[in-house]
Amino acid sequence: MSELKTEVKTMIIERLKLEGMTPDQIDDTAPLFGEGLGLDSIDALELVLGIEQHFGVKIEDEAAGLQAFKNVESLTAFIAEHRAA
Amino acid sequence: MNGEAVKDQLPHRYPFLLVDRVLEREPGVRVVAEKLLTINEPYFQGHFPDKALLPGVLMLEMLAQAGGFLEPGPLRGKAIFLAQVLDARFKGAAFPGDKLRLEVSPDAGFGGLMRIKGSVSCDGRVLCTAKLLLKNVASPTDPA
Repeated sequence: MSELKTEVKTMIIERLKLEGMTPDQIDDTAPLFGEGLGLDSIDALELVLGIEQHFGVKIEDEAAGLQAFKNVESLTAFIAEHRAA
Repeated sequence: MNGEAVKDQLPHRYPFLLVDRVLEREPGVRVVAEKLLTINEPYFQGHFPDKALLPGVLMLEMLAQAGGFLEPGPLRGKAIFLAQVLDARFKGAAFPGDKLRLEVSPDAGFGGLMRIKGSVSCDGRVLCTAKLLLKNVASPTDPA
């Protein structure tokens, strides 16, 4: 799981071009949106596309997707669950 | 679809309604619309007095407005904003008398955002291509 978490963080950094940031600077439980990483809804769409492209996981249910976007931990769990399915 | 039917779908009005006619419309899939440029358009007075040509940014606005017809329901009274312009290329200019063909289709969407891709062409010449992100701020699932 921790490997997948790092992969998720790396994808976030690359997809959103968070220059100068490294995976270990992103807290697993800090909010991705608003406070915390400070992402916005445009970033959310980029992440949806990144998750589909990088992990082959489609987020078709918006409510479930928004729940998954709470933090890196929830996003990693979502990807792990749907990638295995 | 033209005239009042166009005005029923879009919130824009003169002098900023930049779609005259919708030729093909399949909501969520594809829209082809038209804009006829006349010398009477207000922006031609100053852009430019010696050589009237359509401002490139208005081609993007035309594509955004054409994108409004991808939505199945009317957008009158709704708060729709242009949120991002991606990969805009301007390959040619448009002049008074040109009939512009606006083609748009959806590219991606999530949480009240719709990304569309489109092109503006005239007599078979592509003048502009771009991807635009449109935001419906009234969406209840907006995370920001």
